[in-house]
Amino acid sequence: MKQIVKEVNILIVGVGGQGVISMSELLGQAVVDSGLNVRGSEVLGMAVRGGSVVSTIRIGSEVYGPLIPRGKGDIIVGMEPTEALRNIAYLSKSGIVILHTEAVIPFTVSLGQSEYPDSDKIVERLNGVANRVVALDAARIASEAGSPLVANIVLLGALFATGRVPIKAEAIRGAIRARFSVKLAPLNLKAFDLGYRQCRQAFK
Amino acid sequence: MEGLTIGSDSPGERFFMLGNEAIARGAIEAGVQVAAAYPGTPSTEILETLAGVAETLGIYVEWSINEKVAFEVALAASLCGVRAMASMKHVGVNVAHDPLMTAGYIGAKGGLVLLSADDPWAWSSQNEQDTRYIAEQAYIPVLEPSSVQEAKDMMADAFGLSEEFKHLFMVRSVTRIGHGRSDVALGEISKEMKKGSFEKDRSWLVYTPVVARKNRVLMLERFEKIKKAVNTFPYNQLKLVDGARQGIIACGLSYSYTLEAIKWLRVDGEISVLKIGTPHPLPEDLVKRLLNSVEEVLVVEELEPFVELHVRAIAGEANIPVRIHGKDLVPAVGELSAGKVTEAIARLTNSRSPVDFGELDKLEQEMASILPPRPPALCPGCPHRASQYAMKVAGRRVAKEYGKDMEPIYPGDIGCYTLSYLPPIESMDINICMGGGFGIANGLAHVVDVPIIAQIGDSTFFHSGLPAMINAVYNKANITMVILDNSATAMTGFQPHPGTGYTAVGEETESVRPENIARACGVRFVEVIDPFDLEKAIETFEKAIEYDGPSVVIARSPCAIIEQREKQVRGEKTVPYYIDQERCRVKCEACIQLLACPAIVKENGKVIINGSLCTGCEVCAMVCPHKAIIQE
Repeated sequence: MKQIVKEVNILIVGVGGQGVISMSELLGQAVVDSGLNVRGSEVLGMAVRGGSVVSTIRIGSEVYGPLIPRGKGDIIVGMEPTEALRNIAYLSKSGIVILHTEAVIPFTVSLGQSEYPDSDKIVERLNGVANRVVALDAARIASEAGSPLVANIVLLGALFATGRVPIKAEAIRGAIRARFSVKLAPLNLKAFDLGYRQCRQAFK
Repeated sequence: MEGLTIGSDSPGERFFMLGNEAIARGAIEAGVQVAAAYPGTPSTEILETLAGVAETLGIYVEWSINEKVAFEVALAASLCGVRAMASMKHVGVNVAHDPLMTAGYIGAKGGLVLLSADDPWAWSSQNEQDTRYIAEQAYIPVLEPSSVQEAKDMMADAFGLSEEFKHLFMVRSVTRIGHGRSDVALGEISKEMKKGSFEKDRSWLVYTPVVARKNRVLMLERFEKIKKAVNTFPYNQLKLVDGARQGIIACGLSYSYTLEAIKWLRVDGEISVLKIGTPHPLPEDLVKRLLNSVEEVLVVEELEPFVELHVRAIAGEANIPVRIHGKDLVPAVGELSAGKVTEAIARLTNSRSPVDFGELDKLEQEMASILPPRPPALCPGCPHRASQYAMKVAGRRVAKEYGKDMEPIYPGDIGCYTLSYLPPIESMDINICMGGGFGIANGLAHVVDVPIIAQIGDSTFFHSGLPAMINAVYNKANITMVILDNSATAMTGFQPHPGTGYTAVGEETESVRPENIARACGVRFVEVIDPFDLEKAIETFEKAIEYDGPSVVIARSPCAIIEQREKQVRGEKTVPYYIDQERCRVKCEACIQLLACPAIVKENGKVIINGSLCTGCEVCAMVCPHKAIIQE
């Protein structure tokens, strides 16, 4: 028998190539390994050549569909500030935003067709809707772990530190070990732990 | 969990998978022996998954040249008694439409399943076509899953159903099934392998008028049997609530959204629900039972009012006095979600919305107004960017030579290069369907007097560009046909095709060269260029445009993503370019305005190159008028 678990809706957003899909795969696998129901979805193909990427992970006994209704998201994990803000309507009033503060400037800005908002403004806007915003420079923390490329795993660690994901952190460590080679697993585990620690302090 | 893979025979184990992997797993459990497909989002991973286990499980798997051939391959296998499937995106079904319309007359011997992956909201498509109408027209019964788990289960059952009713079945997936993720409980894998044998029966298989008339009658009889049987299929479920005034009929994935919506609105104890897993044919008995038990019913389905119209017909014919809602409350445009279905059911039941959706609309509009759009773009180092640039420069030079109003028209096709329609490149003026670019060019050539420069990708050329090329030769269309050959079906994830020299399972095979085809077709001007040799490329395009008669230019350079991956494997370092800020003092931004490479960005008033994105393709250095872009 599966455990009865309350619905938890997580949106992972960012830009094509930032590792959004890998985060969903790791998280989903860890949830399944923990014996819980999981649903999710993302859009592939035309949309991902450098465009916005949105992936959903939903946990819970009474979750059926792959998509999160607007206003029902518990956590937005934003790999990029404007992408987090773009999806803010999905967050519930008690929702949390975990944010990687590094901007990825879209080419529409370079071309002069649009403007990239001030980073303080973005956080202010996020705060206007979210119950809590935890902003961190995940790339810097990832570099501490050994490579800026594992910024996504740092954010995954921060996500677990919120205490809102109803599985043990050990399950995601297991999923990381299973996915990465013996050579790359320690780097990813370190990134996870550093992200976890950084965000844990914010929640103390 | 250790060692569990998509091909593991571990019934009862739970596996976290992509919907398309689940669909492939269902076919594996059914003992599919032949699978054919042409890549197309959101269907591609089905065949890729099967290709990954083809050798171990003894399945014949192929990337076919197009969907028509894929379906014919599967049909032939079925006629020889083995279980077979063809998978394709919704618009691919159009390409297979011709054989499909007669396949219903033929039926099936070995289980035959067509998988159509529809794309509501056209996330990665040219339209939002609802394939259920094609199935109806062709007398093909449709199974439509409500979840990733059910997609696996339906695929596992569909082959057996096909054999039981001697008829082909269609499984209709949508983007959020195929690209949905879920834990899936695995079933047992069938070990039965059949040896294919073809029994001659010309009165069944040679479609002349006499044979067609005879088999049409048999098809209608088979379909009548299926129509009765679907009432007891487990995919259709009626849950009548005592005393309920209202009912919902929810088809496919909409059923999952409906379950969540009625719980969110706390009306689950007041509404009867009919889950539809077979939209065609509908379980008429179940529909009538629901309609007779309520005063008002809402049909929830994505895209067209397919189920709704049939429900209206059933109610009308049986004289049931029930008010039927559908597309008056549920959007016809785009995909549904639990949120949208909640809004529709709130209106039906006059319930209070759990959240203020109007406020959320406002919030979204406000965000859209302050946030920079982030459309997809050609990757850094993409050879298509160089080709498009060269093509446009050549087009402009020729136009200048020949006088005013000679701006070329650029018909295009479907693939990554379609992104070139966006500013600043804007080298595509019309794009409608696979292979359509050359076809449209043929028509333009006979009614306008400006140069026509049509482009198509290598995979798309093989898929359906070739007939239009021959048409141009035959009918003397004075057009330039550009084949952008990056040695992959790149947009869908780098699948091989007839030009690449290897098959779906990685076996080496003959590599079919577009230049040989063009010459054999009678094209007199055929040139192969390296798009990164910009000067030569521009010069060749100019000659091709000026050539009197159909001309072909093949721009050949591997997809940048594949190239970067292979470089990594070979241990080669990428040496990025950088901008010498001294020489860049004028800040003309030519590099940005001409190429829009995602690696070139403006930061604090300076134009810089992001070294971690740059592939060292050198195109920006070639277009910089101040020679400010230098390799590290």
